[in-house]
Amino acid sequence: MENKNRRNFMKTLLASIGAAGVAGSSSILSSCDRIEAVDGDKITLLTSSGELVEVDKSQLKPAELPSLSQNQKQGREGLPGKSWVMVIDLSKCRNARECMKACQNHHQLRPEQHHINVLQMQDAEHTAPYFMPKPCQHCDNPPCTKVCPVNATFKREDGIVLIDNERCIGCRFCIAACPYSARVFNWFEPRDAEKYEGVTYNIEANVPQKKGTISKCLFSADLLRDGKLPSCVSACPNGVYWFGDRNEDAVTNGTTKETLSFSKLLSEGAAYTLMKDLGTEPRVYYLPAKDRAFPFTGEQV
Amino acid sequence: MNTKWKLFLIATLAFPAQQVLSQDWMVPSDHTALTNPSEYNLENIKKGKELYTRNCQSCHGDPGKNNPLALLPLPVDIASERMHANSEGDLFYKITTGRGVMPPFESTISENERWKLINFIMNFKPGGNQLLVDAPPVKVKLLASVNENKSTVEILAEREDAESTGLENAPVIISAKKTFGNIELGRAITNENGRAEFTIPENVIGDEEGYVSIVVSMGDGYDAHEVALEKAKVGKNKVVPRLIKGEVLWSTNNNIQLWLLLSYISAAGGAWLVIGYAIYQIIKIKKLSKSS
Repeated sequence: MENKNRRNFMKTLLASIGAAGVAGSSSILSSCDRIEAVDGDKITLLTSSGELVEVDKSQLKPAELPSLSQNQKQGREGLPGKSWVMVIDLSKCRNARECMKACQNHHQLRPEQHHINVLQMQDAEHTAPYFMPKPCQHCDNPPCTKVCPVNATFKREDGIVLIDNERCIGCRFCIAACPYSARVFNWFEPRDAEKYEGVTYNIEANVPQKKGTISKCLFSADLLRDGKLPSCVSACPNGVYWFGDRNEDAVTNGTTKETLSFSKLLSEGAAYTLMKDLGTEPRVYYLPAKDRAFPFTGEQV
Repeated sequence: MNTKWKLFLIATLAFPAQQVLSQDWMVPSDHTALTNPSEYNLENIKKGKELYTRNCQSCHGDPGKNNPLALLPLPVDIASERMHANSEGDLFYKITTGRGVMPPFESTISENERWKLINFIMNFKPGGNQLLVDAPPVKVKLLASVNENKSTVEILAEREDAESTGLENAPVIISAKKTFGNIELGRAITNENGRAEFTIPENVIGDEEGYVSIVVSMGDGYDAHEVALEKAKVGKNKVVPRLIKGEVLWSTNNNIQLWLLLSYISAAGGAWLVIGYAIYQIIKIKKLSKSS
C-alpha cells in the first residue's frame, strides 16, 4: 500500500517538475504539507530562473496545475489593456517557411494543417509575383464567431479570436464563414497525439488538439501572457513580422527586436489589409512587396 | 584504409567542390576595370560603415573577426585577403547582382551608396591606408533621472576611471519601454560636464495613467550599462477602447440582443397560449355536448 502511494506521489512529482516554470520553484520549497519521504533524501531541481538547487525530498509537494475551467476563464478574458496587431512586411519574405514550422510545432499541427501559410501571390497578369504569409486576420468584426452555434469561438477584449475545442462540436460553420480560409479542421488524430495524452487543455495555445474540432491561429496567446512574441514572429529569419500593442502604438520586429511606432510604420509603408471591402476590420496589416531584398524564386504563374 | 589515404581522398574530393562553390564567380572584364567614382575619405567610409551594418553585417560578420553566418558558400570576411583579391569593379558587380544566398542589392542600395560601401571595404585592405580606426569602447557610468514637472530626462555620463570626469560630446539614446522592446524617443548630446537634458516629446503614450518607463543607453563605441528609470508620469494616457459590443446576435445568452429575446419569448409564449386556448375550447365543446 505504502509502495503504491509512493508511486502515485512520484507521478505527480514528475508532473510538478514540468510545471515548475508556472508555479515557480518557491511554491515547491516553501510549504510542506505532504511528507512522504525519509528525511535526508536529497533531490536536485532546476528552478525557473535556471539555477540548480538541492532540496530535501520531504520538502516537496506537487505544484498545482491550472484546471481546465481556470484556463478557459482566463482564455476568454484576454490580457487587460492590450490590443494586439501584426504587420507583415512582404518585401522581406523569401519563403523561408520558418514561421510555419515554428507554428506547427507549437500548436501540434500535422504537416498539412496551417495556422499560418506562406502563399505565392500574383495580383494580375502583368504584376510581379510575391510571397505572402497569411495567418488568421483576427478581425474586429469577425464573421466566424457570429455563426458558431455553441459559443466555442469568440473574440477577446485584447483583439484575439480564439477557439475552445472543449465546446466545439465540429459543425464547421466558421470555416464556411471565414473569408480568409484561416481555419483548419482536425479530420484525423492530431500530430503526436500520444505525447499530449492527459495534458490539461490550454485554450490559449489550443493544445492538445482534438480530432473532430476546429483549430486556428491565436497569435500564440499563451506566449503573449508570458510577455513573449508569437512563435511565428520570433522564428522568422528575415525580419518579416512586426508585432505589438496598438493601444500603445508600438510594434516590435521579431528578428531584429527593433521597436517602431505602429502608426508611422503603416503610413510610411503604405500598409493595407486583406479584403477591406468586406468590412471585417482585420488586425493583420501588410506592407507591399516593394524594393524587395530577395528575388522571387517560386514558379512564375 | 589508413588515415593518410583517407586524408588524401577527402582533400581531392573536397577541394574541387569548394573551388566550384566559392571561387567560380566570374565578373565580366568591363566591370573589373571600373574605378570607384566615390572618393576614399573618412566621410564616405563612415557612410559605408552605416550601410554595411544595416545590409551586410548579419551575414558577413564583424570586419576582421572572421565570424560570418554559417551559410554555403561561407560569406567572406571583408578584411580578408580573399575579399581584397577582388578589384573595386569586381566588388561593385558582385554587390549589384548577388549570387545564391547573397541577394542582389541593385534595387535596395543606390549606385552611389554601393560605391561608398566599397570605400568602407577598402578601409580594411591589408597593408592599405586605414582611415577609419575604431577606438576601443569607452567605459561609461551613466546616471539619469526624470523631471516630471518639466517633462525632461536629466543625464550625467562619466568616464569610468579614477577621476570620474564628465564625458563630453557623447550621444545618449533615450527610449521608452513598450511590451516587447524599447522604442527610441530621441538622442541627446552631452555638454562639457558630461550632462545632457532631453525633453520628452508630448505624444509619448504611457500606461492607462500616463506613466512611462524611460530607458537611457549609449550607442556603439561606448560600454555603458543601460539605465532603466522608474515609471514617471510624463506621457499621454493610453486609451483602451472597448472592443466587444454588448450585444451579439447568436452564440451566447449573456449578451443576446434584448429585442430578440423579448420577441422570441412572446412568440413562443403566444403559440402556447393559442394551443392552450384551443384545448380549452375542445374541452368546453365536449362538456356542452354531454350536458345537452
